[in-house]
Amino acid sequence: MSRCAVRIGSIALVLLALIAVVQSPARADDRLVLRLDGNPIVLTHVRTQGSARAVAADDPGVQALLDRIGATLTWQPGQRYVLFTTAEPVVVSFSIGDARYDVGPVSEAAPFAPFLWDGHPYVPLDEFIHALDFAVKPDGSQLVLQPQLASLDVQASGEGAKLVAHAGMPIDARIVSQSPTKLVVAFDDVGSMLPPSRAVAGGPVQRIDVHTTGTVTHPQTQVTLFLVPGTTHSAPGTDDQRDFTLGFNGVSGTQTVAQSAPEPVESATPAPPDQPVMPASSPSALVQVTDVQTQPQNGSVLVRVSVNGDATYDWHRLRPPDNRWWLDVHNARLAIPPQDEPGADPVTAVRVHQVNPDTVRIALSLSDFDSVDVVPNATGLTITVNSTIADETSVPHSGSGTVGSAAVAQTSGVPENWKFAPRPAITQYVAPNPRLIVIDPGHGGSDPGSEHGGIVEKVVALQISKRLHDILVARGWQVMMTRTDDRDVYQPNDSAHDELQTRDDIANSSGARLFVSVHLNAFINAGPNGATVYYYKPGDLALAAAVDKRIASEVNVKNDGLVKEKLYVIHHANMPATLIEAAYDSNPDDRALLQDPQWQEQMAKAIADGIEDYAGTAPPASVGTGQ
Amino acid sequence: MIAALASWYFTTHGRSPIGDHITVYYTKVDGTTEVPWTVSMRPQLSGESVAEHLRNTVLYAATQAVAGPPGGVSAIRFPQGTHLLSAGVNDSTATVDLSQEVKNQSSGVLGESGAFKSLVWTLTALPGITQVAVRVQGQTLDTLPGGHLELDEPLRRSDW
Repeated sequence: MSRCAVRIGSIALVLLALIAVVQSPARADDRLVLRLDGNPIVLTHVRTQGSARAVAADDPGVQALLDRIGATLTWQPGQRYVLFTTAEPVVVSFSIGDARYDVGPVSEAAPFAPFLWDGHPYVPLDEFIHALDFAVKPDGSQLVLQPQLASLDVQASGEGAKLVAHAGMPIDARIVSQSPTKLVVAFDDVGSMLPPSRAVAGGPVQRIDVHTTGTVTHPQTQVTLFLVPGTTHSAPGTDDQRDFTLGFNGVSGTQTVAQSAPEPVESATPAPPDQPVMPASSPSALVQVTDVQTQPQNGSVLVRVSVNGDATYDWHRLRPPDNRWWLDVHNARLAIPPQDEPGADPVTAVRVHQVNPDTVRIALSLSDFDSVDVVPNATGLTITVNSTIADETSVPHSGSGTVGSAAVAQTSGVPENWKFAPRPAITQYVAPNPRLIVIDPGHGGSDPGSEHGGIVEKVVALQISKRLHDILVARGWQVMMTRTDDRDVYQPNDSAHDELQTRDDIANSSGARLFVSVHLNAFINAGPNGATVYYYKPGDLALAAAVDKRIASEVNVKNDGLVKEKLYVIHHANMPATLIEAAYDSNPDDRALLQDPQWQEQMAKAIADGIEDYAGTAPPASVGTGQ
Repeated sequence: MIAALASWYFTTHGRSPIGDHITVYYTKVDGTTEVPWTVSMRPQLSGESVAEHLRNTVLYAATQAVAGPPGGVSAIRFPQGTHLLSAGVNDSTATVDLSQEVKNQSSGVLGESGAFKSLVWTLTALPGITQVAVRVQGQTLDTLPGGHLELDEPLRRSDW
């Protein structure tokens, strides 16, 4: 081949490549520019589908739009669902191959089903935009993405009410005119997808009219509220920096109006078991069976029964060929709806019901004379049905036991819920130094913990811990603190794991009798308050319960009780351990307590009393190892 | 041959035990009470195996649980912006990969634990799922930064 021919061939190849580069985007997808607040949102993966448009959910322009409005996308290749979560939050769900899509609880029909093209999931553009509470409006040659006023809810509250206005973006509004019977609120730069007028039944607001004026780029939506004469209103506000709120007749614009949980879509759905799932506070009260879960596992069937306190049980089985088996939990109420469901082989049916006012029965129909094991634990019991056929002559036909704290003392085997955990031998723990108590003041150094209203968790946790130290030392205990000043126990800016494990290592290597971690609780709003005592391991429960009881009786603070949580620092302490959240630094009343030295002393003394209720008084000095 | 055909038929034509609704839980601000609500579920597609339907359902249910109930409902919620990146199922374990916003915990044990509790209760309500492994941006964490709850092992209902 001549050099000339090679050159011509090369030029032809380059030209072909250029044509391909120029043509391929046009063949693949259209480009669409939408303007939001004057800024372009460039969609590069748009396809025409009949008379409608589809956009790739993973288009960078879509991601820019989602970022702008605080929404997110959940989608992975090979996945059926394309899910958007708005900042409200509402989940907008599309499904590949299904024209139906859901916006929260509302199902809608799109003109075409979402589809995959070149590995991208395409969803109907107009429906997607609408679901985000926006509208696409032409403005000359441009397309404008206009946030829409999407809801105006009037939430009744006694004689008053609260108006909540929601749009596709955070909105602000101003009151432009008012009279005894009419209030006009203007929303700038917001259009509306609401009906022009609607009546409101009952309450101070009787009717709402909505009217949009202005331009495509600067619309203004005026909302006129027709009021019962004499109605008063609050200053405009916002609950969450997004929605506009206004209160009437004494209801604050930012006050939470009690709302029920979302109504079940299906009328047959059982009512919510709206009871706290925590140990019963009074031994004489009925405990609750809070959950019964049936799950097949490796050829067996596990029936997990959750009980929120101490209770006795007995079980019985009939003789073949009648393969019924049942277990009664005494002094108990069923806190969930009764169950009557088919099981999985070898269990043919599971029935759970209140057999009499203080007994809950879990009845199993078995496919054969299958072997059944019952293992109680601190939070209930597990029934394991194996498909191996039991020997009728040698197996018992009844049995009994206890669940809850007593089960811990009685169960020498491995509690079933430790199957997946590196399990410290709690029930066998014998303290090398029974005089020694380890106190762990939470956080410290580079980790301040929570901070609210001038209170820093690491500071107050240390103050209470030092008081606890002094009380215990005065009572003859040896006490080791994981920190005695404001510092990281492992090293500054370490990971939470390293920090917490170091504290556990100190306790574990010391051979202490028990471990007490002192913290403050916090929440994102000022609502929750009180003291909470946490435990996790079965061996923690008695210590935590004793401390909680003393806090409840001796300390001027709301008692939020005992709560089981898988908290790292108490899980990995070999000895009985508890973590005390003394009060909420996010609550103003609790903050006042936390800053009061007398209250801190009260709390420290209650913890010390609880420790001694659990462990007895300090052993003589000859028992200790001189820590 | 027959066994292979039967296996293929079951995986592509088997009926999923998941109905047309699933139960999603949220945790009340008391930190302990789980409140269920139902969301509608799309039926199993023809050609979608039982396992695929379960995996898709886990993703859908977890997204709903992480989003939480509508804004007006007082509930413990994940930090703003937290969303699901992916989900999978291995035997009885559902694995959820959460976005990094979950690390922006500004609350104490109450908020941290309540959010995960609702997620675990939601997913373990699905047939065959007994525990939930949590990842953050694809990584397994021992705890969240500055956090308290242990996340290095799958979480089960019995952890609460």
